Amino acid sequence: MRLEKCWFCSSTIYPGHGIQFVRNDAKIFRFCRSKCHKNFKMKRNPRKVKWTKAYRCLHGKDMTQDSTFEFERKRNRPERYDRNVTAQTLKAIPLITKIRHERHKKHITERQKQGKTKQRERDAKELEQDIQMLPKKDTMLSTQKTKVVVKVSQQQTEENLMEE
Amino acid sequence: MVQYNFKRITVVPPGKDFIDIILSRTQRQTPTVVHKGYSISRIRQFYMRKVKYTQSNFYEKLSTVIDDFPRLDDIHPFYGDLLHVLYNKDHYKLALGQINTARNIIAKIAKDYLRLLKYGDSLYRCKCLKVAALGRMCTVIKRISPSLAYLEQIRQHMARLPSIDPNTRTLLICGYPNVGKSSFMNKITRADVDVQPYAFTTKSLFVGHADYKYLRYQVIDTPGILDRPFEDRNIIEMCSITALAHLRAAVLFFLDISGSCGYSIAQQAALFHSIKSLFMNKPLVIVCNKTDLQPLENLSEEDMKLVMEMKAEAMKTLGHGGEANEEGVLLTMSTLTEEGVMAVKNAACERLLDQRVEIKMKSKKINDCLNRFHVAMPKPRDNKERPACIPQAVLDARASAAAAKEKKKLERKLEKDLENENGGAGVYSASLKKHYLLADDEWKEDILPEILDGHNVADFLDPDILQRCEELEREEGLRLEEEAAQEAFQIDGHELTEEQREILGQIRKKKALLIQEHRMKKRTAESRPIVPRKFDKDRTFTTNRMGRQLSSMGFDPSAAMDRACSRSRGRKRERSLSRAASDGDDMDIDGQQSSKKLRALSRSRSRSKSRPSEEVVPGEGFKDSAQKKKAIKKAKDSVRNRNKEARRGEADRVIPTLKPKHLFSGKRSIGKTSRR
Repeated sequence: MRLEKCWFCSSTIYPGHGIQFVRNDAKIFRFCRSKCHKNFKMKRNPRKVKWTKAYRCLHGKDMTQDSTFEFERKRNRPERYDRNVTAQTLKAIPLITKIRHERHKKHITERQKQGKTKQRERDAKELEQDIQMLPKKDTMLSTQKTKVVVKVSQQQTEENLMEE
Repeated sequence: MVQYNFKRITVVPPGKDFIDIILSRTQRQTPTVVHKGYSISRIRQFYMRKVKYTQSNFYEKLSTVIDDFPRLDDIHPFYGDLLHVLYNKDHYKLALGQINTARNIIAKIAKDYLRLLKYGDSLYRCKCLKVAALGRMCTVIKRISPSLAYLEQIRQHMARLPSIDPNTRTLLICGYPNVGKSSFMNKITRADVDVQPYAFTTKSLFVGHADYKYLRYQVIDTPGILDRPFEDRNIIEMCSITALAHLRAAVLFFLDISGSCGYSIAQQAALFHSIKSLFMNKPLVIVCNKTDLQPLENLSEEDMKLVMEMKAEAMKTLGHGGEANEEGVLLTMSTLTEEGVMAVKNAACERLLDQRVEIKMKSKKINDCLNRFHVAMPKPRDNKERPACIPQAVLDARASAAAAKEKKKLERKLEKDLENENGGAGVYSASLKKHYLLADDEWKEDILPEILDGHNVADFLDPDILQRCEELEREEGLRLEEEAAQEAFQIDGHELTEEQREILGQIRKKKALLIQEHRMKKRTAESRPIVPRKFDKDRTFTTNRMGRQLSSMGFDPSAAMDRACSRSRGRKRERSLSRAASDGDDMDIDGQQSSKKLRALSRSRSRSKSRPSEEVVPGEGFKDSAQKKKAIKKAKDSVRNRNKEARRGEADRVIPTLKPKHLFSGKRSIGKTSRR
């Protein structure tokens, strides 16, 4: 029993799930669910469909190169069982997974950094330009809170008049 | 051996066709163009060639006819006699003779005319000579046309004769009409001879083939024979007689012992005796047919006597006295019940074969046959035994191998024994794990996961995983350190504070509202020429509202509101001095007076007086101002409804389609670019 990867979206297929298609040249196509199967039948290219792993990797959304990926690799040669090695492996797997998740998180934050700075700049500019759209007292309240409490209300009206 | 196949004879055309064939061939195969101006020798040669060619063609054609037809003296006497019986030898010979004579006459004619042509002195004369020659030849053929027709008929009949081989093994069936000859034939061969319950159903010879002892026998069915003098016999009977006389065959003489054929046994015996000379030197079998109607034993004394007499005669036919055994001579059968049919066939074949072998043994050819046979019989050289030899070493090795196998079997505990010890078949389940080859035997029973956290454990297995893991952790530690260092350096000055973010949210909310409003306006009010009251139901555009909005934004709305109110004009338009005078200090009073009072005082700015619309202008075509007024009113009325519903009217601006799609795209199959 093995966990397989979906041909279309590269998600993990647990035993008893999904469907599998064997072409007449003996190539096997596994699908995690009918959605992927239908997309395959529609001859869609997974690299061009946004929600697939292939698309995300191709467009730099996901981390593609990392040393943690080198641990997991399908072995076509059978290995003789060794209790010690297996025990070590079982201990190592959660560790590797954790590290990979960390790195993935990092990758995403790195990726989003540029957009975030831009957004911040845009916000600052908008705030500066469109502040007068709001009633003056609101903006005053927020910016010069401490000052306003002490001052007399007459002064405010005067200011308003002046503006007009 | 001569094959008698009369199917190969070429067709004999009737006289007229014969002439046509020859003449047209002459026309086609010889030159056709000749002129008066040619030298006389050339002209002569031209016509001589024609005559000669025609003659040779006639000769050839007639010769084939003569050669193809068999000469009665040369062929087997059986066929000779058969043809004589069927077609009359004299007539046949005469016809062939006539053709032969015609051939000679034609040759002579040609010779004469060739000689004459040699002396022809003009084209015309030569031509006449040629015509005469051909004409005479044709006349000769015309005269023999009855013979040609006769030969053609004979040819057609001969082609349909059965192909009997006179020299092969043959069974000949004869007897009175209607005694069951054809039925027997149908039983033993695959020939499909017509069988009917009246005499002379069979009118000619029929041939079938039967197998006996892997040899092929020709079976000939003959028409029935009546007992009468030879001269009185008709053609049908004569066919049988011919066959009986000339074929070296086993003869089956059929007797109908029940007498249902219409002839008594005595009559049949009489026939037998009258034609018995034909049976000499042939194996003869007397077949008593129709035993299903009357068995042989039940015959009356006299009849029995007659039958026995015939049997005695039949025994004598072979000529060696009584040496032939009795059993093969008189046989009984019934073609209806198929009882004894095969026995008759086998007996006849057997006797025929014996006779033929005997004849062959006596002939000179026997030596040729004998030296073809050789049967090898190896004799033992001496009395010594020569068994197969196996070396002692091999025998020893085999024995030891067998012993070792046995011993091993005793030593090892088999799975079968285990099964028997642990509850037998169905209860015991063999463990495959115990045959594992592992470093430690304890490991054999380990249970281990295949899947862990969505990964295949087998994919991670690696002898030096521990080492690699450590390396990875170290790497990760380094990375984290680096990151921390970077974060410390990074100064994030652009981050907005909480309050700023709140304000920004409000600004955005406001903007969104404005946009939404604008869109609504654009969709409804703006696109209409006027806004009737019914579309501004909720009174959105009021002075009060403007005031509220302005005050909410922190402005004093009173001035703006006043101005808006003052814009609305009073009912009366007048020009007063007091108003003009007070215009200057308007600003001062603001704020002190109430808005209502102000509105009452307010007046619009003065306007220059323009021409009233209903005033008649020359050239417009109206009689007087009343008429014009009416017209204007009508015009307004006509568009009022349309304007109210914001429909498009004729006064609206229209931009026509400058480049209609249908005129500027596609191929021009019908029409042109400008007009389609």
